[in-house]
Amino acid sequence: MEKSNINRRDFLKLLGIGGAVFTGLQAFRRVSASGPAGSSSHRWAMVIDQAKCVGCGHCTLACRAHNDVPPTISWNRVIEVDKIGDMPVFLPRPCMHCEHPPCVEVCPVKASTKRADGIVMMDYDRCIGCRYCEVACPYVARAFNWEEFTQANPAVPTWGQPEVPRRPRGVVEKCSFCYQRIDRGLEHGLTPGVDEDATPACVVACQMGARAFGDLNDPESNVSQLLDHNPSYRLREDLGTNPRVYYLPAREENV
Amino acid sequence: MLKINRVRINPFLSWVLFLGIFIVAGLAAGGIVFSKGLIVTNLSDLVPWGLWITIDLSAIAMSAGAFLLCAAVYLLGLKRFQPVARTATFIGLIGYSMAVLTLLLDIGRPDRFWHALLYWNPHSVLWEVTMCVTLYFTVLILESAPIFGNLPFLKQRLPGVSNQLHRLHRLAPYLAVVGLCLSMLHQSSLGATYGVLKARPIWYRPDLSVLFMVSAIAGGISLTVLVSMLAARLSPGRVQVNDQLLDRLALVVGWVLVGYLYFRFWDAFSMTYTYQPGRTEGLQVLTKGLLSFNFWAGEILLGAVIPIILLLPKRFRSQPGLRMLALLLVVGGIVAYRWDTNLAGQLVLLTYLPQEIAARYTTYVPSLIEFLAGAGVVAYGVLALTLGIRYFSVVSHPVEEELYEPELKPLVSGTD
Repeated sequence: MEKSNINRRDFLKLLGIGGAVFTGLQAFRRVSASGPAGSSSHRWAMVIDQAKCVGCGHCTLACRAHNDVPPTISWNRVIEVDKIGDMPVFLPRPCMHCEHPPCVEVCPVKASTKRADGIVMMDYDRCIGCRYCEVACPYVARAFNWEEFTQANPAVPTWGQPEVPRRPRGVVEKCSFCYQRIDRGLEHGLTPGVDEDATPACVVACQMGARAFGDLNDPESNVSQLLDHNPSYRLREDLGTNPRVYYLPAREENV
Repeated sequence: MLKINRVRINPFLSWVLFLGIFIVAGLAAGGIVFSKGLIVTNLSDLVPWGLWITIDLSAIAMSAGAFLLCAAVYLLGLKRFQPVARTATFIGLIGYSMAVLTLLLDIGRPDRFWHALLYWNPHSVLWEVTMCVTLYFTVLILESAPIFGNLPFLKQRLPGVSNQLHRLHRLAPYLAVVGLCLSMLHQSSLGATYGVLKARPIWYRPDLSVLFMVSAIAGGISLTVLVSMLAARLSPGRVQVNDQLLDRLALVVGWVLVGYLYFRFWDAFSMTYTYQPGRTEGLQVLTKGLLSFNFWAGEILLGAVIPIILLLPKRFRSQPGLRMLALLLVVGGIVAYRWDTNLAGQLVLLTYLPQEIAARYTTYVPSLIEFLAGAGVVAYGVLALTLGIRYFSVVSHPVEEELYEPELKPLVSGTD
């Protein structure tokens, strides 16, 4: 090591400077991070009554129109899961908006984030399209934009008008609980889940009244009431993701 | 007239041309990917990671020789291996650049590749992997700087630059420390990238980090020794190697493989004990399903058992042909392991439906574009290695004056 111009002291100095720069950068990032507020008075949830769902798929179409989703992607799939007698039982599957979302944990760029009110958001300007979140999501709730969606949206205007910009090619997208409707509704003093303009499009579109949306923090809200008075379950509770989408099961006596 | 112009085909030139065909095809395929998007692949929302991820993971694994040999030389003081460490470092540099290329192909928004450096999510293993790639790639560039200083053109025309590059060599011990940390973190985190996903039971276990690490050690050293031996055989006179060093390293590979097989056995065996939804099906895909040939033939028999038999006894190992065959098989086995691991977790899909937690199956076969682009990246790597051997003398064991330890006597006298 006789040729070396760097001795141990210099090396430690360099290490110290590096550490200081790192800490400074971290502090800067914390200050500049303009994340959502730490707490919210709301805890949004969706309750889906499988006894009422007839599998018409209107929710999927309304979702496609309001969120400008291409026909190749469903943010909200309706799946036939069972039969009771002759009656098929359906399971509509939006994003579960998990309390412990695996997608948020694995996203390398924080393009997937969880808001204080529980909505799991996608930042389409930040997503790099690595698709780790798709691999991590147990509910297959995420879809990648394999190609650019340039055509006219066949769901528009029959099922509604787009309220959010189209996603570019190469990013992952998913159900957002129609956060744009919730946020704008709240600004205008409306109550999500009660006033249609402040409620997710799929809930409004459901003619069978199979879907309910509301605030779990409000014991009087329709979702709190439904969950209080009915047996309910969530998907893959064994994973501990704690979904905010609850299902009221279809049983022989209530179909 | 034509007959006079026809020169004897130069094997080096034809090799470069051969690789060039693949590189041009790969560039064309890459162009299509960038212009049309990932729709040209056979990837889907159920299998979002495919061939390119395998190439990426394999290239990183094959780069593991760099940190190991640098650590051996500069931290453990095994100075004899310095010339081999040089080869390994160059292979690492090429391997990491291959990984970066495939990643750029694979992500949906390659224009935003820098986002991970700016928008940190320290909770994400993939973020950590990205940082490791970036930082360790930088370390590899610094570690390879003295190699680039060897370019005859630089030496003659810009001796100043050449000297500066050579002077970076004094950083070698410090770079070895940093490289050891970053590279070990990176190799094992690639396993953890899969291992932390609760939604995929066949991946969701701590063993993947260890297995990725150990297999990368075997693969990285194997490729380094294999490349050195091939170079010496293909251009005798130009490339000199010290076979004693390579023999010793091949023996190390043999023992690492024994350890790898041991971990692999218990890892797989422990999964057979009880039925676990998704995990059991994943293991079955691996041992008797779609991936079973890859698993038994590619990974276990050809990738580990036969190489162990060929590398441990002196009798087989000392035969260059058998040794090279064994090392090639190890490299193949590691690639097969990455491919199988990546697919085992994706081909088996656990349903989220309430009635049953049952496994569903899906398939994936890469598209032609994926193959061409992937082959292009591999051809680029091989070409870079070829040029490195020819023009930067990355495989060259006779001791030169700028080498780290002056006390070592030249084993073979220099040729230039």
